[in-house]
Amino acid sequence: MRRALLLVMVAGCARWGRKYGDDAREFQGGAFMHYELTSATKVDAYDSPRDLVLAGAKLHGFVGLSSTVAYHAGIDLAMGSTLRGAGLAYDVAGYPVGAAVRFGRTSFLALGAGIGAMGAMGTLDDALTIPVEATLEVGGSWRLLARVRTSWVEAAPGRHDGAPSVPFADELDGMLALRFGHHYEDYGYPSGNGYFVGVTYRELLGDHWVGGAIGYSIDLGTPR
Amino acid sequence: MGKTAGNPGRFCLSCVSVRMVRFAIVLALLGGCIIARQSLEMPTNDETTVALLTGTLGHPMDDIARHPWFAVRKKGETDWRIYEVGGGGTEHDPFRDHGSYGHPILHKVWRGAEAERAAECLAKYGDDVRDQIERDYVLYPGPNSNTYGDAMLRKCHLHASLPATSIGKDWRGLIGAGVTSEGTGLQLETPVVGLKVGLKEGVEVHIIGLSFGIDLWPPAIILPLGPGRIGFADR
Repeated sequence: MRRALLLVMVAGCARWGRKYGDDAREFQGGAFMHYELTSATKVDAYDSPRDLVLAGAKLHGFVGLSSTVAYHAGIDLAMGSTLRGAGLAYDVAGYPVGAAVRFGRTSFLALGAGIGAMGAMGTLDDALTIPVEATLEVGGSWRLLARVRTSWVEAAPGRHDGAPSVPFADELDGMLALRFGHHYEDYGYPSGNGYFVGVTYRELLGDHWVGGAIGYSIDLGTPR
Repeated sequence: MGKTAGNPGRFCLSCVSVRMVRFAIVLALLGGCIIARQSLEMPTNDETTVALLTGTLGHPMDDIARHPWFAVRKKGETDWRIYEVGGGGTEHDPFRDHGSYGHPILHKVWRGAEAERAAECLAKYGDDVRDQIERDYVLYPGPNSNTYGDAMLRKCHLHASLPATSIGKDWRGLIGAGVTSEGTGLQLETPVVGLKVGLKEGVEVHIIGLSFGIDLWPPAIILPLGPGRIGFADR
């Protein structure tokens, strides 16, 4: 009996290995990258810090055995200033945990969670953050770029409960933009690039912040 | 910023929007704009010529990444000898047509005795440096073809700079410092951040291989997009 069970297990493992070994050779994946310049200005108060301008890059990728669901990870790096507050600002985050759902040729919805740091010298307390971000990109040459991120803040008690709309988190920020660019199908692989312009929204320190975003975006993926 | 006149406490959303749109339009108009770009006409072959060119990678990287090559033609010859990573050999018109690389930009031309010395140096060290970089090649952040371009400029004392979109040009390993390829400045580099400061180079900050800054001569804003600068062509 034990010998028969062992035989079944070995046969099962061999079959599983053959199946996923073949799949691994035909993995599916994609990536997107943004260069961004974003601004945000406090709407409902006039105290410092009042402006936040950040320039940076986002690089995210997803890989999986399915053409629809994939593991997603990424990194965001941005530096800037609180302008007249003159604080050197930074907003960095890594997202090692995540999942993406791909649809269309290069459209996707991606969720990611990780760890980050955000602050500005002298004007915004340095904080360790635990961000959870949802990113949606839809379309080809004309492409809708949207993202929303909630963050839990550590090491900066003054920034706790700073997002009135999301009582379960400390901060909230998002962007909605439209890309005007190109879609390519070189060698059967879909990709695209172009400049985008959009708006940003942030809830930080209990205040509402709005602003604009301009940048350049690239997307590419395996054929679906 | 974004305040209504005469009412300092009120926020003016339309002012912010108008300012951002205006900024976006200016950037869009200037994006990819280089004033006084060098002509891609091949120089005559009455003296030895060495040229440094870059071209764009294929889609969708064409606006963010460029690849360099040196073209060398001895006096009286018609074909050009190419020095680059991932290629080589001879070509008839590497100024306009260089494989899959598009939209070539001519960055600098050396002629006469200066070109003779440059050609000799490229012939002596070009293949060895290329082989070493091809062995250690990493597409991003380097060492890659742009690392080769910058390394050869410094090795052969050819005073020129690669554009900001030549990502990998400032790769020096985990940490490195030295004189810039232009020869009038200093740079300190790590894979995460780096800084280049010089009389001609201006100030260039490198963040994860992306270059931002201000070029003093010829004046331009340095950006990691398109031709790598908004302003006057580098030469």
